[in-house]
Amino acid sequence: MCVGLPARVVKVHQGMALVDASGARREVSAALLDELDPGDYVMVHAGMAIARITGDDEEEMDDILEDLD
Amino acid sequence: MGNEYTQTALQIIRSYDGPPVRIMEVCGTHTHEIFRLGIRQILPEAVEVISGPGCPVCVTPVRYIDEAIWLALERKVTICTFGDLVRVPGSTQSLAGARSMGAHVEIVYSPLDAYDYARQHRDEEVVFLSVGFETTTPPSCLAVRTARAEGVMNFSLLTANKTMPRAYEAMKDSADAFLYPGHVCAVMGTGDCEAMVQQGVSGVVAGFTAKELMTAFAVILKKIRQGRPFFKNCYPRVVTREGSRTAKELMADVMVPCDDEWRGLGCISQSGLRLRSDYAAWDARRKYSVPPMKGKANPACRCGDILQGKCTPPQCPLFGTVCTPEQPVGACMVSHEGACSAYYTYGGKIR
Amino acid sequence: MNDVITLAHGAGGRQTAELIDRVFKAHFSNPQFTGDDAAVLSIGGADLAFTTDGFIVSPPDFPGGNIGKLSICGTVNDLSCMGARPLYLSCAFVIEEGFPLAKVEEYAASMARTAAEAGVRIVAGDTKVAGKGQVDHLFITTTGIGQRLTGVHTSGTLARPGDVVIVSGDVGRHGCTILLARNQFGIDADVTSDCAPLWGTVEAMLGQTKDIHVIRDATRGGVGTVLYEIASQSHVGIHLDSQSVPVHPSVRGVCGMLGLEPLYLACEGCLVIVAPECEAPAILDVLHRQPYSQDAAIIGQVTAEQPGRVILRTEIGAETMLPPPGGELLPRIC
Repeated sequence: MCVGLPARVVKVHQGMALVDASGARREVSAALLDELDPGDYVMVHAGMAIARITGDDEEEMDDILEDLD
Repeated sequence: MGNEYTQTALQIIRSYDGPPVRIMEVCGTHTHEIFRLGIRQILPEAVEVISGPGCPVCVTPVRYIDEAIWLALERKVTICTFGDLVRVPGSTQSLAGARSMGAHVEIVYSPLDAYDYARQHRDEEVVFLSVGFETTTPPSCLAVRTARAEGVMNFSLLTANKTMPRAYEAMKDSADAFLYPGHVCAVMGTGDCEAMVQQGVSGVVAGFTAKELMTAFAVILKKIRQGRPFFKNCYPRVVTREGSRTAKELMADVMVPCDDEWRGLGCISQSGLRLRSDYAAWDARRKYSVPPMKGKANPACRCGDILQGKCTPPQCPLFGTVCTPEQPVGACMVSHEGACSAYYTYGGKIR
Repeated sequence: MNDVITLAHGAGGRQTAELIDRVFKAHFSNPQFTGDDAAVLSIGGADLAFTTDGFIVSPPDFPGGNIGKLSICGTVNDLSCMGARPLYLSCAFVIEEGFPLAKVEEYAASMARTAAEAGVRIVAGDTKVAGKGQVDHLFITTTGIGQRLTGVHTSGTLARPGDVVIVSGDVGRHGCTILLARNQFGIDADVTSDCAPLWGTVEAMLGQTKDIHVIRDATRGGVGTVLYEIASQSHVGIHLDSQSVPVHPSVRGVCGMLGLEPLYLACEGCLVIVAPECEAPAILDVLHRQPYSQDAAIIGQVTAEQPGRVILRTEIGAETMLPPPGGELLPRIC
């Protein structure tokens, strides 16, 4: 389940973060993530930033496949 | 750029010539993306994808919809809900049907928005339909904890929150490998999935982009030939081993495990969450003395077997006659991606 | 069909079609009754296109337009899709008691401006006032007639295998704008409605070539619904290349957040054009020089295979079916 959307943090204020996903902006709860800063990327679900995104899917998947052999 | 790589994953998938493999995904968004991308079309004959019980829409029992409709029509509460639940059939009708009989149904994006709605409409009694797995439960918990802290008394939750690990166990004989739900794992970490390896059950945590999904399938098909149970986190940019401690604490603070019913599968022990007694005043069942409801599922419906890959949709006597996407009877017909809905729509041409 | 009318019956999808077939068509059926945007009637030697449309948009003001502008565009575009130069419109207002007069005047001014741009005259009207709460602000119904250009014959039944499918602009912008304007989901984005009168666009296209098989105005239900209608009316398959469908980045962002499909969001200034492949470059060239169609693109082909279906070629090169229109558009979390 769980539609997740990668979004960039624009502003953090009192436990809330303004995030931007290719131009769509929304305030979401930042309660689950410590030390969130503007410019960070987060995964957003149902109005909450549920995780920090630490990499790029393209590169990461290349690495995983390389490790397979 | 990425296309080159997807080719490689594609080659691994296409060239699979091992024994038949059943891969079960347990995430509504995986179901959706697998359909949207057409991944089933590129899988070899030997690879079967089963859409297991991972979509809150599909697993929410009939009784729960009946409770929500009772609250809306008998107690005249305002129901706040995710859009997903609006068309899910109860014993006699869905929330969409109840709305045309005067039920007040507000569709929200977040449980926190439902809380805000309650705060701004103090003259209404507001009930949020709290469904979902570990990804969706934290915002519901945060909403109700905030309501308690702020003394907002016209807000409550009708809970049907579920947890995945017991479902993995319940389904483990139906699959050779799981595609674990990336966003549940983002919150819970990978411990439960790794523990499944001890029980001989393989799986990978998968993300949601084309590349992430293709890679996840490629990893399964490559590793499965080695014959040993395995686990691999194929979504490390979002999923860590520990998951979110804060989220887990938040959930434990507000909710406790309980036995829970899954549409099509029946009751699974300790697979649900309900509000702790400190939150009784925000628990819609207690607050409004919701009477116990039986929730009559059609006895001929074979969704449970379909979810477990034990039969195909046309083998169900209701399929296509009594049960259609327009008037769904069972869980698998409810959402577009449900096994029966997809089979009905695509005429079985798309596996 | 359910026993009562639900919002799905007004969403432009399968339930709407069912309501029309089982109730309206059953009672009104006659040789001119049309499944297209407007009926074409031969009167005194002229081919007249005739149509009507009701507007109940909430909120009545939104970025890029208001209900007044919309009420003109909708009817002008329906006539234009039949290759008919819009000539005269009538309008009927149902206004809620207590609604500000200044607002009514603002909408009337918008209507006048849009009508002038489209070259139509508003020649008759009706006003009703309903008690407080009986309508939401105001409803406008417009009816229009236009004269079809000679040599033009467009209809949803005329798509042929080998034709290409063109959209005149990026998809889903009006629906997305309205969704945001209702502020129900707390999302903010720089999106304005594509609401525009398209006679100028159609006239320019028909000036280039009259060999166009279908022109449809993708309103409620979006481009996806129109494509399904064409596939069914013409008994053809439609194969889309999902990567070629123009979508504004912010619309994509909003859709990502709410789990919606842009092909099913409403447009109010976007045409779906089906034409022979040899005409496509010239048509695109004309479209790119018109103000409301600079993002026009070929998005797919018409095939003899899989009649009645819309097939998407996806980013991994597989083919999947576009889920058929499913009634009320609901955001999802799973």
